Amino acid sequence: MNARSFCRAFFCAAVAAAPFAFPPNAAAQETIRFGAPLPLTGALAPEALKQQQGYDLWAEQVNKAGGITVGGKKMKVEIVYTDYQSNTPRAVQAAEQLITQGKVDFLFSPFGSGAAKAASTVSEKYRMPTIASTASSAQVYDQGYKYLFGTFTPNDTLTTPLTQIVAQTAPNVKRVAIIARNDLFPLAIAQEMEKSAKNRGLEVAMFEKYAINTMDHSSALAQVKAANADWIFVTGYINDLVLIRKQMSDQRIGAPVVTMIAGPAYQEFIDAAGAGAENISSAAWWHPAVRYQGKDLFGTADNFVKLFRAKYNSTPDYAQASSAVSGALFQMAIEKAGSLDREKVRDALAGMNVVTFWGPVHFGPNGQIDSLEPPVFQIQGRKAVVVHPPEIKQGELQLGVGMQK
Amino acid sequence: MTGHVKRAPSAALLVALVALAALPWFGESYTLRLGTIACMYAILAVSWNVIGGMAGYPSFATAAFFGLGAYTGGVLLARGVPLVLAIATAGAVSFAAAMLLGWVLLRLRGHYFAIASLAVAEVLRELTNSATELTGGGMGLNIPLELGGGASVAYEASFFFLAMWALLLVCVLAVLAVERSRLGFGLACIRQNESAADMIGVHATLYKSLAFALSGVFVAMAGTLYAGWVHYIEPPDVYDILLAVKPIVMVLLGGLGSIIGAVIGAFVFLGIEEFVWRNWLQVHSGVLGFLIVVLLLFMPHGMVSVGKRLRRTPSVPAAGAAAQLRADSVRGAGHG
Amino acid sequence: MFLQILVNGVVLGCLYACIAAGFSLVWGVLNVINLMHGSFIVLGSYLAWGAYHSMGVSPWVTIAIAAPLFYLMGYLVQRGVLNRVMAAPVLVTLTLTFGMDLILNNAMILAFKADYRKLILDPPLGTVAWGSVVVPVDRLVATVFALVLTGALYVLLRRTRMGRAIIAVRLDRDAARLMGVDVPVTYAAAFGLGAAMAGCAGVLLALIFPISPLSSIPYLGKAFVVCVLGGLGSVPGAVLGGLVLGLVESFGAMAIGPEHAVTLSFALLIGFLVFRPQGLLGKRGFE
Repeated sequence: MNARSFCRAFFCAAVAAAPFAFPPNAAAQETIRFGAPLPLTGALAPEALKQQQGYDLWAEQVNKAGGITVGGKKMKVEIVYTDYQSNTPRAVQAAEQLITQGKVDFLFSPFGSGAAKAASTVSEKYRMPTIASTASSAQVYDQGYKYLFGTFTPNDTLTTPLTQIVAQTAPNVKRVAIIARNDLFPLAIAQEMEKSAKNRGLEVAMFEKYAINTMDHSSALAQVKAANADWIFVTGYINDLVLIRKQMSDQRIGAPVVTMIAGPAYQEFIDAAGAGAENISSAAWWHPAVRYQGKDLFGTADNFVKLFRAKYNSTPDYAQASSAVSGALFQMAIEKAGSLDREKVRDALAGMNVVTFWGPVHFGPNGQIDSLEPPVFQIQGRKAVVVHPPEIKQGELQLGVGMQK
Repeated sequence: MTGHVKRAPSAALLVALVALAALPWFGESYTLRLGTIACMYAILAVSWNVIGGMAGYPSFATAAFFGLGAYTGGVLLARGVPLVLAIATAGAVSFAAAMLLGWVLLRLRGHYFAIASLAVAEVLRELTNSATELTGGGMGLNIPLELGGGASVAYEASFFFLAMWALLLVCVLAVLAVERSRLGFGLACIRQNESAADMIGVHATLYKSLAFALSGVFVAMAGTLYAGWVHYIEPPDVYDILLAVKPIVMVLLGGLGSIIGAVIGAFVFLGIEEFVWRNWLQVHSGVLGFLIVVLLLFMPHGMVSVGKRLRRTPSVPAAGAAAQLRADSVRGAGHG
Repeated sequence: MFLQILVNGVVLGCLYACIAAGFSLVWGVLNVINLMHGSFIVLGSYLAWGAYHSMGVSPWVTIAIAAPLFYLMGYLVQRGVLNRVMAAPVLVTLTLTFGMDLILNNAMILAFKADYRKLILDPPLGTVAWGSVVVPVDRLVATVFALVLTGALYVLLRRTRMGRAIIAVRLDRDAARLMGVDVPVTYAAAFGLGAAMAGCAGVLLALIFPISPLSSIPYLGKAFVVCVLGGLGSVPGAVLGGLVLGLVESFGAMAIGPEHAVTLSFALLIGFLVFRPQGLLGKRGFE
């Protein structure tokens, strides 16, 4: 290859790269653009789908009502998606691309605590108000950042009420076996569970991690059986939990209490686990059964579920609800600020104290919500039934999962 | 072919590469991010070319080296070791590991070598995942790297771009030097006929191991730089199999065995990747797959060969690559 | 517990054998590593799921439909695309199937969404117990089917004209051509058989594992390891390799913890490649 063909090749490269040099031109602003980097492909794709449904439903409802009122003028909203392929650094790149080239006005964080934390650096750099709708770890918020807000309470707010209600209902439960997926959120929640259990004086008889992509859990479960635990606590994503539940029945393993996080909050878990889902307990940040009279555009959980069912023909869970409420919170903050000014909207978010269909929303000094009491629930008769907190509970915690009669 | 012809493209490449350093004065933050990735891709591609193009071994170990470098350097950075020292350590660790692995794995050929090199990344990934105390395991590793002086957005973006760019320059110079050295000659012999190379006194095992190590050392350093740049790494990201496949596609795009081709291939690949990613939200990985298929079926010798076809006389690198592919296929047929 | 883990390992091993048999055949005969194998299996699972939940067709019947369907698909893919690069080096064939897998996997994500499905038999098959050892009936049945399928493949290769042509091409392509074997057709047939095995395996596995396009990578990983353990292109080798992997994973998970089971299997893979590349049963393959 000589210099000439080199130049030609370089020219080809330049041509291939040319389309990126011209960002969409920002004409007189008619719509408010919200950036949403999501893992639409790769291992987290099922989660991305849920978030997308939540954002889309909110945008559709807002636009149906004419848009968001900004200083007396109605403006429509538009969600700009990018796919970061379930790759965390790519999520940071996607966030930066949305801010600098996608010309978005506000940002939703990428999925989960890890990516949300990584991308928060970019939001902070560009002073971009950002709501994380699926990040619970306190480390995400304890970075001293001013522009990041989150709708999930810390992980221990799930495990503490769980141990509390189990201790009340079943004082004979003494030995806990914990199996955790070796992955950010599942591992963090399992470690939180270990702490909560020890605080209650329970004995952690077994704590095992399993690798991502594990296809067979029978050996780990054989050890659970041998450990003779009264409470089996499993963390993972829905596929892991469906598989583990199936293999528990395969080996006839049961216990008075079996808790799984985060699968059972999803309707797909109940569908996929079938009869095996009965009496599985779990905790999540939201549940269709919660009863709050909200000031947001959805108002109540019932109304949200109704609209959601009309659009997607399925029942929403906490992931979709959190995404939708994140949009609604932006809406309320913008209307209160009366402008799209990032500083004003940020201040409006920081000062927010309002009830929504998601629950009361108030952000602590670090940006993480501190006003929510996550419900504990249990699958009874193929339906999730809230058993805690007392104000919204629909039934009592039942004991016995897959126990021999 | 004369030395004059051979030197011209290298000179042109170097000039173009040096000119690239001006990017921080023109580009905004996102352009710099792309520029940094472009340099990183080019390091991966040029490095792979040493073992894959020069020595003719289908290595899928790039992901292993990248992850090893990212975690070695990342763990050090997280403990406050200066960046330069972390990069040097990652390079040294990766060099040593690659020499050792090479000694064992390079006895294998063809599919067996490919699979073994692929499995190395899997093993390293799982080891990293289970060494929770050191690496944070599945929780990932945070790298709060302070550049000092209240580094601004623009400063940090320029810093990492220039660092990656400098690493690319060093990498290209090193590989160019290797190509012209006894080692480069030895590797060419090994590629064409390994037993014959042994007979004429080329210490095949040593040479191959060196090539393997060279293909790892800059990748590992780029891994450390990457870790410092993104501030957060987790095993599935830095041991991603795509990191092993992409450099191969880039080199095939640019023409096997050509250093310039590898650099251009990397830049073009990034351009295509970015374009596809932006324009086809739901199907971009399918479109990428389609491009790979088209490239392999219709442009087996890369863009260089398209350029060549337009001119009369085939120039040496492309012809060399073609001859090499033929030689490989003859060898492959012999094994079948 | 020891007996239970032994039984678990054996049952798991047979499933692994079923995953790997077709992959091994293609690798051994065509000298092509088919990275689409995992996606073929997932496609088979979707077929079983769709047939059962929308038309009420039992998975046992679906196997009979899947086999010819996947054979045809594999045959066409080989004739249409792969055949163009049969003489190309490893790098090209490997990267090509990688690209094709990206397309196939993306298409499945679009068609089925990425969320997990599960085929639930109604009524469920339940479990059987001998003393303290419990075995789920669906795994048992799948194991028997896996053995039958692998056995059928073995008989097909040994007893039929097509099978003997495939073996002849595997042993010596040029000699086979001289003896009047149509090599391209044989290649396509072997690839078709590999795809058919993947499809049938997918139908069986739908009973046991959740179904998603994302499952293709772990399936592929298992196929690799089994194949190298057992020896390339050898059907009994795939069974033996599967059993060894199933037992090693099961006992490994007990001895050193479930998080290391996958590491163990890949370490085993590298060990075998270095010290016994021909596998447990294989003849010396390509160098």
